[in-house]
Amino acid sequence: MAHRTVIVGAGIAGVSAAAAMRRSGYEGDIVLLGEEPELPYRRPPVSKEIVRGEKTPDEIRIKKPEWYDQQSVTLRTGVTVASIDTEAHVVHLADGEEVGYDQLLLATGGRARNPWSASGIRTLRSLADVPRLQSELTPGSHLIVVGAGLIGSEIAASARTMGCEVTLLETAALPLPRLLPPELGELYVDLHKSEGTDLHTGVQVTSIEDEGDQTTVRASDGRSWSAPVVVVAVGMEPNVELAEAAGIEVANGIVVDAFGRTSAPDVFAAGDVANQPNGVLGGRHRVEHWQGAQNHGTAIGKVMAGGDVPFVEVPWCWSDQYGHNLQVTGWPETTHELVVHGSLHDRDFIAYLLDDGVVRGAVGIGRPRDIRAAEKWIAAGQRLEDALEGDA
Amino acid sequence: MKRWECQQCGFVYDEAEGWPEEDIPPGTKWEDIPDDWTCPDCGAAKADFTMFELV
Repeated sequence: MAHRTVIVGAGIAGVSAAAAMRRSGYEGDIVLLGEEPELPYRRPPVSKEIVRGEKTPDEIRIKKPEWYDQQSVTLRTGVTVASIDTEAHVVHLADGEEVGYDQLLLATGGRARNPWSASGIRTLRSLADVPRLQSELTPGSHLIVVGAGLIGSEIAASARTMGCEVTLLETAALPLPRLLPPELGELYVDLHKSEGTDLHTGVQVTSIEDEGDQTTVRASDGRSWSAPVVVVAVGMEPNVELAEAAGIEVANGIVVDAFGRTSAPDVFAAGDVANQPNGVLGGRHRVEHWQGAQNHGTAIGKVMAGGDVPFVEVPWCWSDQYGHNLQVTGWPETTHELVVHGSLHDRDFIAYLLDDGVVRGAVGIGRPRDIRAAEKWIAAGQRLEDALEGDA
Repeated sequence: MKRWECQQCGFVYDEAEGWPEEDIPPGTKWEDIPDDWTCPDCGAAKADFTMFELV
């Protein structure tokens, strides 16, 4: 049994792995290295309750401060890893210190993608991003959000709720393009409009530049918008640089097998950064949602403690916008047929997304229990008609 | 024995089953779970759960 495990990354995947190792009876050292100065925290509320000032950082900690000592997990925050030597089994920290390992877990997550560089640009991924943006979201102030994916949509909704004038720009024809089929994307057009958010879709941003005290976003068709602050929310980039420099196989994330093993011996990866086998549909995928990172970290932690269970999971995520709880599970993008139960108009429905009659995805508002049932059907590859009959 | 449902994500805590993943043994009553316990699936607060069924 290995006697020291080093975990790089103290987000939900890294912390969940440490917790799972201890629950599995692992007795070696666990060293958890976090780059952020903060005690590990849950990231989903950052674009919602935290930016709106409804919760404090101490209310979103993953574990209580004393948990790390109680579990004999050596948590070191504000620590940057400079490089990894997979042959010598050593992690080099930026300050020159060396930390040896028997097993290494890379749970390095990702960072906000931002191809532009004007001084009025903000991104939101970490607690450290919050204070300045929050101070700028005063009632009546104008904010532009570039990107109507989950984070952009949530920031727009949060800012609108705080009384800001919000312009939301999206490249695709509809908001939440990676999650929702067109019929349901239309719902979010209506929702943003009814809440007074100025949504423009089909916007190909060509530049974002400072102009005096304003920042101007220009689109390829000649349209432009200006505001003091522009939040760029166009996805995340996995933090693969450490792995890449160490010669570990990287392709849209760190490539792992169903047990979280990378191409280097004794090196594992989990969470947003891991490009993992899709145990239901085949092929590979990288999942960027909270529950996926948590469960992946847990599963790989168990493997690192001696377990032998491969990780198979149907992705699931939720989003809160203007008080409506959206949930999405499975792979809606692989489907062509939509069956809706409930009322789209009342924003109380579950929509099953089918491929040849088989449930591959589900989208719901206000139907958490139905989404959970659908998740099981998706995992089992069930046909909708059979599943509903069995459920009745 | 009662069942409690997370209003944010639908996770169900069943007192009969407990939540062994976090060392909450089967039979643990809702009121005996620490107040700072959070939903295992979405991180919502304990206060965001409601009882939905007596079993």
